[in-house]
Amino acid sequence: MDYLIGGLYYILGNENWWGPWIRGICGLIVMGAILVFAMFTVWLERKYAGDIQSRIGPNRVGGSHGELQLIADAIKLFTKEDLKPDKVDTPLWAGAPILMFGSALLMLVAIPFGAFVFYGKDYPVAVTQFDVSILYIEAVSAIGIVGIFMAGWGSNNKFSVIAAFRNMARMIGYEVPLGLTIVSVAIMAHSLNIVDIVSAQSHIWYVIVAPLGFVIYMVALIADLGRIPFDQNEAEEELIAGWATEYSGMRFGLGYFAEYIHMVLGACITVILFFGGWNLPGILVNLHPVFGLLPFAWFVFKVVLVLMFIIMVRWALPRIRIDQVTTLGWKVLLPLALLNLAWTSVIGVIW
Amino acid sequence: MVNKHDVKRRMRQLMDEYIHEPQQPDYVLDESEMMVHIGPQHPIQPGPFLIDLKLKGETVETAKLYMGYGHKGIEKILEGLTYIQGLPVTDRICYLSALSNNEAYVSSVERLLDIEPPERSQYIRVIMQELSRIQSHLLGIGEYATDLGFVTMFLYMIREREYVLGLIEDITGARITHAFPRFGGVREDIPDGWREKAVDVLAMVNEKCEMYKELFSDDSVYKMRTVGIGTLTKEDVIKVGLTGPALRAAGIDYDVRRVYPTLTYPDIDFKVQTAKNGDIFDRVMVRIAEIQESCWIIEQALDQMKPGPLFPEGLPFGRRTPSMRVPPGEAYVPVEDPRGEMAMYIRSDGTDKPYRVKIRGPAFSLMQGLPPMLENVYIADVPAIAASMDSCNSEADR
Repeated sequence: MDYLIGGLYYILGNENWWGPWIRGICGLIVMGAILVFAMFTVWLERKYAGDIQSRIGPNRVGGSHGELQLIADAIKLFTKEDLKPDKVDTPLWAGAPILMFGSALLMLVAIPFGAFVFYGKDYPVAVTQFDVSILYIEAVSAIGIVGIFMAGWGSNNKFSVIAAFRNMARMIGYEVPLGLTIVSVAIMAHSLNIVDIVSAQSHIWYVIVAPLGFVIYMVALIADLGRIPFDQNEAEEELIAGWATEYSGMRFGLGYFAEYIHMVLGACITVILFFGGWNLPGILVNLHPVFGLLPFAWFVFKVVLVLMFIIMVRWALPRIRIDQVTTLGWKVLLPLALLNLAWTSVIGVIW
Repeated sequence: MVNKHDVKRRMRQLMDEYIHEPQQPDYVLDESEMMVHIGPQHPIQPGPFLIDLKLKGETVETAKLYMGYGHKGIEKILEGLTYIQGLPVTDRICYLSALSNNEAYVSSVERLLDIEPPERSQYIRVIMQELSRIQSHLLGIGEYATDLGFVTMFLYMIREREYVLGLIEDITGARITHAFPRFGGVREDIPDGWREKAVDVLAMVNEKCEMYKELFSDDSVYKMRTVGIGTLTKEDVIKVGLTGPALRAAGIDYDVRRVYPTLTYPDIDFKVQTAKNGDIFDRVMVRIAEIQESCWIIEQALDQMKPGPLFPEGLPFGRRTPSMRVPPGEAYVPVEDPRGEMAMYIRSDGTDKPYRVKIRGPAFSLMQGLPPMLENVYIADVPAIAASMDSCNSEADR
């Protein structure tokens, strides 16, 4: 019961028949909140890209800032005809967006989205908690790659196949440094549990202890998300739309949305691993129970900052070539990640 | 007498033969190779053309270029129109360099008529030429940046181009297709207050170009993609017959404005911008330098201009003349298009319509330069190289 939803589960009776239902409903609420936040991220990306490119961005639907633009887009995607090309491999082709979306949703099971602190006790906003949550998140996030490969292979389109292979090559190259940096954080925190990792950072953020690890993690994360400068799998100039070439309507929408959910969750994990999560000084939080909401707000604020950084990188850089991507991954990031691992091991032993 | 049904049957037979005859490709693929058709409809393309790439993994082995999807028959159309009617048609050869096309056409006809525009008109034409070059280069660099996945740069370029188009619009009244010069002069004079506006805009463009130069030459990610890619040596360039920035980037200082000067270009002090390596990076840097040079040319022209008539004294036709007879003969006057040497060979037989117009545009050679460059590069370099040539498919096919 040390996490919010588990607490509700406990309070409302895990003994009773409605216990699992409460837990399910709470899970749905978290999922809905994350989907809304991902939609907000799309809006943020459009607006911020507009700022970077000295244009206005969406400004018509739902007020002068285009807040409801995404609703309009979703309606458009839902009402479009469901086009299926003739010679696609139907199970692969139709299953791919579901798998991508599903892997994104599986990730959010284990991530605590900030926490409320009441009377000196943390209540992380999470659907569930277990001891190897960070490992689980890494494992589940990699399932999405299978989805992209299925989409590329099943589409019966040369551009999609090239995109799928590029995606594979990139992922294999970048999951390794990503995993190594996460391992290095786990070594410093002496735990694979996200809540423990956060509480280990109550005195100093890991970005200060292991700045190299943070840089590697950020590069690998952006590569993992497949955004410029690492969006070779959907380089529209060469490969039209990459794996999404043969998709339209909501099938495309699912894959597209899964990417944004990945991005939000990636930002959350960044904040958890390197920016101290929801930690605030105890004196401030314990002034009054109302201030117990502050850690949650602090967490969301940092997540938005990380998201803005990821968006800024996308609009400020050109795309690099796939051979340069793999070179960077294997020859630069991997040795640096090993170095970082050695450094953090030393720290882990001392602390 | 031929039976209608026979004709139909024969036609169907021919069509069947045409359709069912297997179109054997002149390439053979082994198991590790793949054929990818870029075009005729593809997001990178400003106009329809087809590049067949034989790929081995991510590497291009051979590239084949097929053109002609956008053939408009402009040379033939010009034969059927009077000289002044043909002028707006020359706008449509390439929408990015409409003023240069106008200039090539008008100056050839002037050579046939043996007239020379007064000095003020010549200066106005010089200004329009350079403005046209600035806006074309800005859009060219922007599109090229998009092909590197650098969309922000495209929007920056469009922002600056908007002001330059505004300057052109203030004089000609049009943004894309102007039909501005006339035989022996120009259609409109420069309006009041234009000069101050132009000086401001050009100073801004100049300053931004300085920034872009710095940005392009300092950005390591950008240099990873461009330095040493798509290199054309001096010999290659001459062999393919390239002109314009692509030629100058290879280190040859050939500029029509300097070699065959027309208008008041001899009175104006400018430098022919060149580079050494002839790769993508150099071609774009030459373009940016040319934008700055054009700003300098316009400033000089504005300073040197004096008030005066727009048409020569005693010209029987001016801006409102519907048609005129042109003495027999032939003329070829090259001008420096944003993309290279542009000229129209016009042959007159003494009537009010040209007997033959042959367009020599730079874009066709630029397209022909592509296939050899595309060999042994990565797929990702294909759009970058193609866009760095800044070719105009509409003009190449015309």
